[in-house]
Amino acid sequence: MTKKITINFTVNGDRETREAIVGQTLLKFIREELNLKGTKEGCEIGECGACTVLLDGKPVNSCLVLAVELDGKELTTIEGLSKNGELDKLQQAFIDHAAFQCGYCTPGMIMASKALLQRKPNPTDQDINEALSGNLCRCGAYQEIREAIKASTKK
Amino acid sequence: MLTYDYVKCENLKQAFEQLKSGEQVFPLAGGTDLMVGMRGGKFAPRLLVDIKGLEELQVLKEDDAGITIGAAVTLNQVALFEPIIKHAAPLAEGAHSVGSYAIRNRATLAGNICNASPAADTAAPLYSLAAVINLVGPEQKRSMPIEEFFIGPGKTALKKGELVHSVLIPKPYPQGKGTYIKASRTGSVDLSTVGVAVQSWGDRVRIAVGAVAPTPVRALQVEKAINEGGEKDWAKAASLVHEDISPITDLRGSREYRYHIAEVLIRRGLEQTMGV
Amino acid sequence: MADLKYVGTSVKRRDGVDKVTGAAEFIDDRFLGPLLYVKMKKSTVAHGKIKKLDISKAQAHPGVKVVLTGKDYPNKIGLYLVDRDFVAMEKVRFFGEPVAIVAAVSERAAAEAVELIEVEYEELPGVFDPREGMKPGSPLVHENLEEYERVPIFYPVPGTNISNHFKLRKGDVEKGFAEADLIVERDFQLPQMQHVPIETHKAAAHWTPGGKLTVWSTAQSPNVVRQLLAKTFEMPMQNIRIISSYIGGGFGGKAGASLEGLVIPVAMKFPGYVVKIVFNREEDMQGTFTRQGLYSHLKTGVRKDGRITALEYKMIWDGGAYTEYGVNIVRAAGYTSTGAYDIPNVKTDSYCVYTNNSIGGPVRGFGMCEMQWGIERQMEEIAKELKMDPLELRLINGMKDGSTTAAGQVVHNVAFDKCLKTVADKIGWGKTEGKFRGKGISGLVKCPAQPSNASSSAIIRINEDGSAHVMVGATEMGQGMLTAISQIAAEGLNIPIEKIDIKVPDTDFTPYEWQSVGSRITYTCGNSVKMAAADAMGQIYKVAANLLGVPVEDLTFDGKMVYSTKDSNIKATIREVADSCKKCTGEGIAGPIIGRGSFIPSNMTNLDPETGQGNPGMFYCFGATAAEVEVDPETGVITVLQLASSLDVGKAVNPQLCHVQLHGGTIMGLSTALYEEVKFDKGVMLNRNFTDYKISSIDNTPHIDSFLIETPEEKGPYGVRGIGEQPMIGVAPAIANAVCNALDIDVNTFPLTPERVWQAIKAKR
Repeated sequence: MTKKITINFTVNGDRETREAIVGQTLLKFIREELNLKGTKEGCEIGECGACTVLLDGKPVNSCLVLAVELDGKELTTIEGLSKNGELDKLQQAFIDHAAFQCGYCTPGMIMASKALLQRKPNPTDQDINEALSGNLCRCGAYQEIREAIKASTKK
Repeated sequence: MLTYDYVKCENLKQAFEQLKSGEQVFPLAGGTDLMVGMRGGKFAPRLLVDIKGLEELQVLKEDDAGITIGAAVTLNQVALFEPIIKHAAPLAEGAHSVGSYAIRNRATLAGNICNASPAADTAAPLYSLAAVINLVGPEQKRSMPIEEFFIGPGKTALKKGELVHSVLIPKPYPQGKGTYIKASRTGSVDLSTVGVAVQSWGDRVRIAVGAVAPTPVRALQVEKAINEGGEKDWAKAASLVHEDISPITDLRGSREYRYHIAEVLIRRGLEQTMGV
Repeated sequence: MADLKYVGTSVKRRDGVDKVTGAAEFIDDRFLGPLLYVKMKKSTVAHGKIKKLDISKAQAHPGVKVVLTGKDYPNKIGLYLVDRDFVAMEKVRFFGEPVAIVAAVSERAAAEAVELIEVEYEELPGVFDPREGMKPGSPLVHENLEEYERVPIFYPVPGTNISNHFKLRKGDVEKGFAEADLIVERDFQLPQMQHVPIETHKAAAHWTPGGKLTVWSTAQSPNVVRQLLAKTFEMPMQNIRIISSYIGGGFGGKAGASLEGLVIPVAMKFPGYVVKIVFNREEDMQGTFTRQGLYSHLKTGVRKDGRITALEYKMIWDGGAYTEYGVNIVRAAGYTSTGAYDIPNVKTDSYCVYTNNSIGGPVRGFGMCEMQWGIERQMEEIAKELKMDPLELRLINGMKDGSTTAAGQVVHNVAFDKCLKTVADKIGWGKTEGKFRGKGISGLVKCPAQPSNASSSAIIRINEDGSAHVMVGATEMGQGMLTAISQIAAEGLNIPIEKIDIKVPDTDFTPYEWQSVGSRITYTCGNSVKMAAADAMGQIYKVAANLLGVPVEDLTFDGKMVYSTKDSNIKATIREVADSCKKCTGEGIAGPIIGRGSFIPSNMTNLDPETGQGNPGMFYCFGATAAEVEVDPETGVITVLQLASSLDVGKAVNPQLCHVQLHGGTIMGLSTALYEEVKFDKGVMLNRNFTDYKISSIDNTPHIDSFLIETPEEKGPYGVRGIGEQPMIGVAPAIANAVCNALDIDVNTFPLTPERVWQAIKAKR
């Protein structure tokens, strides 16, 4: 018997009310209930960071959060970053500096980077390393990611 | 895939009612250990009782008693709290070394302790700071030194139906420097192979080591040589740790290496905190 | 070469906007439905007979549509050797091997049903060390090895666990050793490692009552998947459609065919459903390709002037439970067994041995990382014995124009010296300051490991507005195929890149591509695209000549207009050319322009079965890596102070993306050098998750200096060679050489975890 609980939340600025299955992770809820496919699954145990989203503005691994815990919160996913079809500066910087290859870790990486920039608008390499140590990129775009983040802070 | 129920609590009374409502009822705070354990079959809850919304468990403050860290306070909050950075450096460093930034936004200090891995990075620091843990149950409250809380791997002194309420770093704070040094395979997001907390208390020292015994342990022989024996040769003192620990060989390191590293890190910790 | 406009420029990736916005469709992002979810019942023993398999409770579980077992998958599959069962038949050969398949209407129902399947095994003695597996009397993993169909260039030894014995005999090693002043020999070994792409393996299948099968897969090579499935399921190829998506990392692990076959019999029973299987991380690590472990013995003879005279290499590979792909890695390592060095006398025996460990298969480098580890470490030992600079030793023996490989293939246009010197200069070779600091260097070489008939093709359709669709069978797994191929097409058509559309393949529409592996695509697919562009241009000019009434030789094209060089008023738009009619009478001249290109290498040959001599390499790529490290002698922790990588790419189609690839491959190499090893205990992979299988993260990744060298490869499009795998090969040896130089210690394996370094320091004392 799967129990459902009604939850009220905002996602990318929009208010929503949904039924969340108890036991479903926030990651699965985002992908299957909200149909936002940008957030990815990579390990299900909070080690790879591909599922990173912002919960009340803070980066979390959505595979370790239950959907029912979304109640009363603000969720931001990668889809919420570009406004009116225009890329966020950070996204453009990722393109300009080729800060991705296969692109699978990229949404999580960008969300974690975005959260960093909100905490530290001019991050050093050390700040970036600390903020992103939980976002694995097997293609090894780390050097480009550091450059892209720093470049995005310049006018 | 598990079938279970979930309740978000409004207050402690409700939490206790839920916790005693049946078998396999688990409190839920950050969930970063619980969720992994559930997926892996280690835990099979029938009911999750979400307590992280309780205001009294979110307390993070400094007052005459010392620094109080509520059960729902996250590791990022701990690592970034000024009084902890200033007066409880091993804890700030230990908390900061757990997982990734995103994990630390959810993982709580209480959760790290209750999971009771011998390698828990906040445990050895709390030992070195003579921390006190406050437990609360439906009928009673009780407190104990943090060292009494750990009983074995994954086992704590919590009674059924009881919750951790808070952890206290008591005043008077240690006078002197403190540090947490973590040896791991990658130097990045990783579990400790060995973790050493060294806190100077004036001319005395408290040292604790993680991942070298069924629970975190104090390096009592090392401490004795320094605190009672006046030993100033840190290498010599550190070599006594072999009597205090009983490491095993596992995926992260061999017994032999752990003996060696514990000694090295203690010596380095003493050099950093007690002067060269 | 004439000035190029598009090839050689660092255009931004064509898939950039999709990927930074999360809009890029990976297989699991597509809307597919209605869905059936497939989960596997996995074996809990590494080697055992299935004594009892009771699926009745699972079949009766609510939501379950069907439970299948080995008998529902009667045919084996295999690219080079047909040895692999999709689902175990009478026995299991590795821990985690599927013994039953459950398909249900929800993931939950499928997972619950799996728990209800009852299996009992009679455990058989297992083989966990290939050296033991080679010995007479060893338990056999595949009793019927000699019955397996295989590509004839692989040589199993009947009645044993040896599924391929590759032999190479060049010159006369005995004579060569006799000429040597010094002989150095030792054992090397390497554990398995795993690709761990962030996206795991996934597949889905759909069957129509009319007999059309559609398969979505994370596979790198849809055409090979189609070919293998057609054979295994005895279906005609035109009825199988393989649809690719963006792939979240391949690294060789998604080469060949893997899990697609599991879902096909289910799909055939339930037409109209999309039957989906997703491997979770643990299943992905234990149940898909793993880089083969290696035990090797290397013996080198060298004169006191530094010239190597003889090399004898014995390589025993842990092929795992199925070696349908691994047999070729063993071969590739064999025919490249002198690494980047020109050695006149060589004797190599490279054995692929079945064990009950995880399935061995292609991993970035395809045997080069493992094999060249021994070569590059032994160079250090030789240099030490001869009291010679290790760089100097490499320059003396390094391949040059006209050198021959281990297989006797002559290489031309070789800039290996330059690769070595570039990285050596960068890290300040020859001066080391500071205690516990050291520098190390390594050469590297690779050619694509492919059959000599591995071909590529391309179709270019010109639209009425002069834009173009480029259709190829190559996949995009991050390496930048979409961008590089666009650039080659743009160059050939002289139209801006923005006017080119290119997508990941769908075998119903895109033409044949053997595989996106081996660092071969820019070269072979690029060649076919270049040919297709030339073909399209040829048609354009022919039609325009007719339309405009001028000779073809007079015409040129500026991307918008075809016009006469003699009179620029004589012109026509592409639109006018593509649906062209004679201006005065209205009679049709020609219809739409479709360019076609088909490429097969002409410079490869088979290899002699006894001597391994021949031309296995379509092209060769040389490079070098240099590192400076500082080691904490008490803890064994290595800090990488400098890391420099060079590669002769022939022609950098996109310089920015080439540097990115060089960084990425170097980082993966570094990760394997310092952290990665699969830990098996009687076939059980103990560390099958990211908690205990650690890879590089951003905060332990140093700055990488990358250098592109461009010595054109004459048969490559615009001089292109390859780049995908090569950057990995030299990293572990360079790091190890640096560490050993720093502390005067010795290591014969990696990863160089802190504990391993500490053990090596202790051993020295």
